[in-house]
Amino acid sequence: MHTIGKVAMLAGVSPDTLRYYEKEHLITPASRTNAGYRLYDDQAVRRIRFIKTAQHCGFTLSDIHELLTLKQADSACCEDVRSVAIEKKLRIEHKLRALQAMSRALDELIQGCAGGEATTDNCPILAALENSLHEVSR
Amino acid sequence: MIVKIEVIAAPGCRKCAGTQGELRAIAASVLGEDRLVWREVNVLKEFDYAVSLGVLSMPAIAINGELKFSSLPTPEQFRTMLTTLESC
Repeated sequence: MHTIGKVAMLAGVSPDTLRYYEKEHLITPASRTNAGYRLYDDQAVRRIRFIKTAQHCGFTLSDIHELLTLKQADSACCEDVRSVAIEKKLRIEHKLRALQAMSRALDELIQGCAGGEATTDNCPILAALENSLHEVSR
Repeated sequence: MIVKIEVIAAPGCRKCAGTQGELRAIAASVLGEDRLVWREVNVLKEFDYAVSLGVLSMPAIAINGELKFSSLPTPEQFRTMLTTLESC
């Protein structure tokens, strides 16, 4: 059994992160000492690493909760997990396209402004944003 | 007018297999076979198309290129949607 500090160190997270995972129902201590301190087994270290790796792939803690539930459900199969991964990829692609659109909009603004020492009253970027605001409010 | 109904899903989707036949039969009865184009879209093969439709979850249903359901509708919901189309 490991204390929260030891298991946090083994898994490469902070004790606060572990407490947060517990609050989000992602991990529970295997037991507690008589004084109430959390104790974790080796399986907890694997679970924390699973959570971290999933986060690197873009999964939210809510997604990870779903994945962990599927992992333990007898009725779930690989196809269910694959669907979660595909849906995550769809969401990432939507975000990417939105970011690309923002990047293109910024390109236009940057190209329309030569910079320099002019006062901000004459700044084409601010003017363009101001005009857009007027168009939106019409 | 031809109505194109597309079911966007991952291949092997267990949720879809049973229900799709039933939904297709409803579409055929409301619209008529001659006016119905039914297409099953493999999200992995047509990923960009799925993204362009706005699909975020599966299975999803698009009608005439517009996303109408982001999960499988009940037969009643589906019939109501098709009936609405008919009255437009």
